[in-house]
Formats: sequence, C-alpha cells, structure tokens
Amino acid sequence: MSVINLSKEGRIKTFQKRGMAFVVIMFITLAVVLICRLSYLMICKADYYGEIARELHERERAVKAKRGVLYDRNGTVIAGNVSVSTISVIHSQIKEPERVIEVLSKELGLDAEYVRKRVEKISSREKVKSNVPKETSDIIREYNLAGVMVDEDYKRYYPYSTLASHVIGFTGADNQGIIGLEVTYDKYLQGQDGAILTLTNARGIEIENAAENRKEPVNGKGLLLSLDINIQQYAEQAAKKVLEQKQAKAASIIVMNPQNGEIYAMVTTPEFDLNNPFSAPETDSDGTQNGDYENKSGKKLSSDELNAMWRNPCISNTYEPGSTFKIITAAAALEENVVKLDDTFSCPGFITVEDRKIRCHKAGGHGAETFKQGIMNSCNPVFITIGSRLGVDNFYKYLNRFKVLNKTGVDLPGEAGTIIHKQKNVGAVELATVSFGQSFQITPLRLMATASSIVNGGHTVIPHFGVGIVDDETDRIEKIQYESESGVVSEEVSQTMRSLLEAVVSEGTGKKAYVEGFHIGGKTGTSEKLPRRNGKYIASCLGFAPAENPTVMALVLVDEPQGIYYGGTIAAPVIGELFENILPYLGIEKDSAVSLEE
Amino acid sequence: MKSGRKKVKQQSYYDYSMLILVIFIVAFGLVMVYSASSYTAQTKQEYNYDAAYFLKKQTWAVLLGIFAMLIVSKFDYRLLIRPIGHLKIRLVTCLYLLSIVLQIVVLFTGKELNGSKRWLNIAGMGFQPSEITKIAVILYTSYLIYKAPRAMNKGLGVMRVFIFMLVPIMAVAIENFSTALVIGVIMAGICFVSSKKKWFYGIAALLCTGIGGLFIVLGGAYRVERFEIWRNIETHEKGHQIRQGMYAIASGGMFGTGLGQSMQKLGFIPEAFNDMIFTIICEELGLFGAIAVVSMFLILIWRIFIIAVNAPDLFGGLICAGVLIHIALQVILNICVVTNFVPATGVSLPFISYGGTSVSILLAEMGLVLSVSNRIESR
Repeated sequence: MSVINLSKEGRIKTFQKRGMAFVVIMFITLAVVLICRLSYLMICKADYYGEIARELHERERAVKAKRGVLYDRNGTVIAGNVSVSTISVIHSQIKEPERVIEVLSKELGLDAEYVRKRVEKISSREKVKSNVPKETSDIIREYNLAGVMVDEDYKRYYPYSTLASHVIGFTGADNQGIIGLEVTYDKYLQGQDGAILTLTNARGIEIENAAENRKEPVNGKGLLLSLDINIQQYAEQAAKKVLEQKQAKAASIIVMNPQNGEIYAMVTTPEFDLNNPFSAPETDSDGTQNGDYENKSGKKLSSDELNAMWRNPCISNTYEPGSTFKIITAAAALEENVVKLDDTFSCPGFITVEDRKIRCHKAGGHGAETFKQGIMNSCNPVFITIGSRLGVDNFYKYLNRFKVLNKTGVDLPGEAGTIIHKQKNVGAVELATVSFGQSFQITPLRLMATASSIVNGGHTVIPHFGVGIVDDETDRIEKIQYESESGVVSEEVSQTMRSLLEAVVSEGTGKKAYVEGFHIGGKTGTSEKLPRRNGKYIASCLGFAPAENPTVMALVLVDEPQGIYYGGTIAAPVIGELFENILPYLGIEKDSAVSLEE
Repeated sequence: MKSGRKKVKQQSYYDYSMLILVIFIVAFGLVMVYSASSYTAQTKQEYNYDAAYFLKKQTWAVLLGIFAMLIVSKFDYRLLIRPIGHLKIRLVTCLYLLSIVLQIVVLFTGKELNGSKRWLNIAGMGFQPSEITKIAVILYTSYLIYKAPRAMNKGLGVMRVFIFMLVPIMAVAIENFSTALVIGVIMAGICFVSSKKKWFYGIAALLCTGIGGLFIVLGGAYRVERFEIWRNIETHEKGHQIRQGMYAIASGGMFGTGLGQSMQKLGFIPEAFNDMIFTIICEELGLFGAIAVVSMFLILIWRIFIIAVNAPDLFGGLICAGVLIHIALQVILNICVVTNFVPATGVSLPFISYGGTSVSILLAEMGLVLSVSNRIESR
C-alpha cells in the first residue's frame, strides 16, 4: 500500500489551492462578462435582430393592386383590367396525380406530358399555366382537386387593342408601364400591392396555425384623357386610307385643341396590338377586333424591331417641316413689322442668296405678288426675303418666343428635341433655308404646338393627353394643370395669320383641305428627306377650324408617298376628309353664308 | 493507520448534490436536443423521418455515461496509478498510450465528416477519440505532476510535462484544431495550478497570445478567413451559421418564445442541436433561461472546486482541477462563439450539445470527481 503516497509531498499545498481559486474566479468573471454580452444582444439588439429574423421567417404573398383605368374624354374605358388566374400544383398535397393530369390537360388545353412533368416534379410549388381566363379557372376550382392551386390576379386589358397604341402604351409583368401614357402616369396608375404575411420554415413551407398578417392593397388611380376614341378612329381610318392609296411608308395624324393643347387623337400607322405588344401586327387586322388575352404565338421580333414598332414618330421623330413652317416665319415678320400684307414681291422662280441660287417650287416663278399672295402660293423667294428682313437675331428671338427650340413637354416619354443651327453659325444662306422650313428638324407635335400659339391669340400651349386623375372610389377628378404663357404674338397678328391661312385653304395651295360650309385655315408642306435627291418626301398639311376662332387643329404627315408627293395634293385632302367627319362631331356648325358664297 | 482508513470509509463524503446537479443538466440537455433536432430529424430521409432520432441516440449515450459515472465514482481513483498486477505498467499510462494510438488510427481509418477525419467506428457505434484524449491528458498530466510536484517550479520539469503531452495534443491538432486548443489549455491550467511560480504562466500566456497572433496574421487563409467572418458577421457569406444563431439569441428577448417554439431551428440554423444549441436555449427560454443555464454550470464548477481543494492528495486535486477547467473552458468558449465574441471554433456545450462520446466522457469525468469526493476525510 506504500504506493499510495500520503506523505507531505503528495498533499495539496496552499499555493495550489490558491491557483485553483484563481482559475475559478477567472471563469466566474468570464461568465459574468458573457452574461452581459447576452443581455446586450437579447435586450438592446433584440429589436434589430428580431426584425431581420422576422423578415426571414415571414413569407409575403403579394395581393396585387388593381391598376388604374384609362378613360377617354367621353368616359369610355380604353385600358382596364381583367381577372385572370394562375394555376399551379403543390407536389406534396396531390392525392390523385393521374386525375390532376387529366383534368388540367383537358381544361387548359395543354399537352398531358407537359402537365405530367409539372405534377411529378418534386418542388414546393410548380406553376402550370398563368393568365388563365376566369371562366376556365372557375371550372378547375369546382373539381376541388387536392394540391391544385388557383390564384387570382389582374391583367391589363385594352378593349380597343390597336387603338392609339403608341399613345396609350402597355405594361409589363410587374404591372409597370413600358411605353406611352402607362409610363408617364405610372405612379398614379400603379397603386400599392398588398400582402399576406405568413410564417415559414427555412424551406419556405408555411407553418400551420401561425397567425396571418394581412396588408390590404391600394388600387391605382384612374386617368381621364383628352383622347377621343371616335376622333381617333376617324383619324386612323383616314391615315390607313392614305397609307394604302399612296403606298406610303407611314402616315401620322395629330388632332389637337389649339386653345389648351388637349390632344384628341394621335395616329401613327401601322398601329400594334396592345394586348399582344410583343408580336408583329397582323397585316389584315381590322384594327377594332377584340384581341383575346392569350399569348398568340405570333412572329418573334427582335428588340430592335420591337422598339421600331413601339416608337411614336409624332413625338420621337424629327423632320424638316418645309412650307408648313412658313406660318412661323410669317408670324414673326408680321409681329416685328417688317412686312405688310400688301407689300409686293417679285418671284422669277429663284432667288440668289450670296453665291447660292435657291429655287422656288414653281419653276417659272410666281411673278409679281403681294405678301398675302406669297403665302397662298407658298412662294419660297418671298419668305427668304422677309427672313432676311428679320435678320438672324430677330429670327432667333422669335424662335425662342415661339418655343420652337424647346421640347413641347407633352406627357409622353421619349420626346425628341429640335435640331437647328447654333445662332452664331447662321449666315445668310442658312437663314434663307430656315425661313422656308429647311435645314433644321423639329417634331410634328412641336410644329403643332407653335402653330397653335400663333393662331389661338398668342398664348403657348403644352400638348397633353392627361386631363385629370380619377379616384374611382369617390368619383372625384383632380384636374391636371398645364402652364400657359401669353404674348407670343399680338391678338392682331394672330387674327391676321388666321385669315391668311384661311385664304391658303380657300384659294391657295391648301385648296384640297377645304370642306364645304366651314371656315378652315391651314398650310401645306412638302419636305424632301435627307439625303437630298433620293426621291423620298414627306407630304404634310396643317389645318384648323373654325378659322376665326380655332378649336381644333390637325396635322397630317404622309411619309414617302409613291408618285406625286406634294403636301397640297396628298395631305390636304386627308385634312379635308377628317374635318368633314369630326367638325360636326365636335359640334362646330356649318356657316350657311360660306355655302352660299361658293 | 489502519483504523484511520476505516474511519474515512465510514464517513466518506460523496457529493450527492453534485450528482443530482449533473443528472439535472444532462436531462435538460436531452430536452433541448429533442427540441432543437426534431425538425431536422423528421424532414430528412437519412434520419428515417423520425423526430426522436437524435434524442434516442443521445439518450443511449447519456445512460451509458451515467452508468460509467456511477461505476467510476465507486472505485478509488488512486487505482489508476497503481501498477497492474505484477506488470510495471499503470492504468493511467495505458490510457495515455491508448489515446495516442486511437488518434493515429483515426487519422488513417477514420470516417470523414464535414471534411475532417474525427470519427472511429467500433461495433457499429461511432465515437470521437479526441474526447478520450481529453480525459487521458487530464489524468496523465496530474499523474506526472503528482510524481514530482517540486519539478513544476522549475522550467525543466514543466518542459517534461509539456513534451509528454505534446504527442497526443499534436495528434488531435492535425484534424481538430479547436479540440487540441481546449486540451492544451486544460494541460496548461493543471500545470498553472500546481506550480508555485504563477508569474511564469502570465508571461507564457502573453507569449502564446503573441505567437498565436503572428500565426493568425502570417498563417493559412483558412484561419484568416475565420477572422474575416468574425469581423463581418452580418455580411460575410460564410458567417451564415453564427449570424442565424445571433438572430435566434436576439429574438429570444427576456423570457423567450417558449420551449419548442424556436423559429430558427426550422432549418435556418444548420445543425442547431450541435454546437449551436445554446442559441436555441436563448431563443426558447430567453435571457432568464440563458442565465439559468450559465448559473447551473457555475454551481457545478463551484462544487468541483470545493472537492478539488479538499482532495486527499495532489493527484485527486489536479484531476478535479482538470475536469473543472475542461467544463468551464468549453462553456465559456461555446458561448463566446455563439455570441460572436470570438471567431468561430467547433466547441460543444458540455452535457447539453448533441454528441454521444462527449457526454459519455464528461459523465465519466464527473465519476472521477465523485470518486475523489468519496475519499475526502471529514474532520
């Protein structure tokens, strides 16, 4: 037993006991520090980490907000919503897989193999088909199949499918506007999605009996537009007709109220189907046919082709306005008092500016003529002369005052700006060409807005579609305000311009825009596209009525017509035809005196 | 002398209060293992979708451990340093050699889990030899010091102990750095307790920190990355487990979400029943539960300390000191890791974390402490 050492040597000494005590005290100290750390985490940081943890545990099932409806000026719905459903299957809940496959493939018109793949896939949730019409999903719901989920949803729907497609625009999968008014007014239209929050485990499976947290969606606000579907349809028909007759590349028509800038119609042919914006327009479509909301397997377009199709040339393309711009030159000259109506000019068929010989469109020249006749004849030398009388500084002063150098501020995305010489680079030749509407480019809408401010008594207008924001719940309309500056030209000059332009239609180059019984003012234009002498033209005509107090103005652009390309021959009749339809519709009465006179 | 020994046996001091405390902690551990593991167990095929899969395995290990604890506590711990029969070899030496052999065997034939070979399969039961090494190191260090206590006051004597222990510790370190660190600290702690020259350990600790720091700065990317994770716990992609643990701790609040109500155990914290189990305790039982658990460990440590200072001899005292350091160190380190106080290392929470070998060996160690308590002469 001597092995067990009980001698003094084997006993625990005091310093060893102290050592143990030291170790224990150190550990107790550390434990206290850790408890402090825990308290800090669990009390001070509880909210911070707790919030993160809750976000981690909660799954949000979005409840979509209804997108606001677009109304035309008569209150007709031109962009609404339809209820659609998404059908999906939950693998773990399916009890009769064969029956599920049979029912779904039958009701949804899908290939049985395609459905089988989805039913047999082991996943928490597998989508079988989205955008299913409500009737179909109701039938499927009545089967009451375990593991088949029907989720309701809204989808944007355009009842007139192709009507004003470039203007209205369409939305994407996330309910966001992609082009057109849907983009500009997105923040009003979108509303706020609601949500159902449920607790889930790490694999996203909902925990039973956990309390649901519900957030109601806020529906989007409606939008009242100045667009009029009837005028738009008239305009579309007129554009389509001229497009086909002249085998032109494109035809655009804008109809606007020159007093306040409300746009009644904006047409660019060809239009595309808003319910199917990613497929090419069907060539034989009648334009009003109701597209169904199934995705047609149309021709796939590249993104460049799509962008070209969606582009709105009325605001995004610039062109040389040609003779229609003479309205601006004339108004500037009259306002600056450098010309009087009975000033006489002489046109030998050309005019020499510095070393350049600039031709008039009439080969032999117009001979001797007054200023008024010069406008009616759209005589280039007359305008070159008054342009040089104005001088560069004055000319640019008026371009600024007429806002020709600015964008119009229309409520559509993608507006192009004016392309023009810098004032300091303008010499006599440049000034001469600008005077009759060449060597610079503006958008069609810019021309209209400026022409409006000249004939409406001299106040600027911002062309627009949006008139008011509609609260569908209270039916209250909040008006959208647009700025207007007065004093662009004096009332007197405005009056003179109206009668001059009326003379253009009644006796001058715009004769074909004349409608019996109405006072119509206007100006035609023919622009040669760049590069010059390739035989491509844009024929245009601007018209307004009634001439003495215009409430409607229209601009017609025919891009690359075949054969005769003069604005007075091709575009002016379109204005005439259009006005013949829409003037009575707008309640503008015939003046019997005019009829008698003729 | 003979009558004196009889007297000791009659009035032996067997620390029943500590025995009850240990059994209580272990039982609490089983409850928490079930709470933390049932979701994982019932959702995975490899566990037969059996919610009690981990609970069952752990219960067997606990029963085995309690059995071992009771047996060990009834034997005189001094039998360990008696020569066996006529051989010149002692049990404590056998255990020391066995732990080295097992550690070498595991390096070659061990089962690989999470990229490290730490498991041995014997008779269908997996166990971790590194846990054996812990008890072997505690016992053999105590034995070496007990044989020559004065040598601990000299550098050479300390070096001798260190060299003996370096072999098993390095063997563990190859595959499991954090366990080797724990074993090393236990050994150093025992040496510290037995030595008269405490200041020497202060300097040594400073030196170790310095060398460790250099090693971290100049060492491999694996450990440097650990520090990166530690510093950017909320953003680092590999900080997932600790980050999720922090969410669990913080969402517990004062009183917790209630037993079994943890959200974070539902797959958010990977293997929540292992080293991360303290986070589930915090989430379900709140700050009060967490403080209660830490307090239980402090009481346990206090009991072991009382036994250690009253031990009949230095060998028993040092065994108790070793076990004390083992338990306390793991508790402190584990909580430090889950609260992101120190960079992550795999240290389990004694008696509570899932792990059969660990809980069995810990219970056996408690048996040793009880055995020492059994030899205390009451005066």
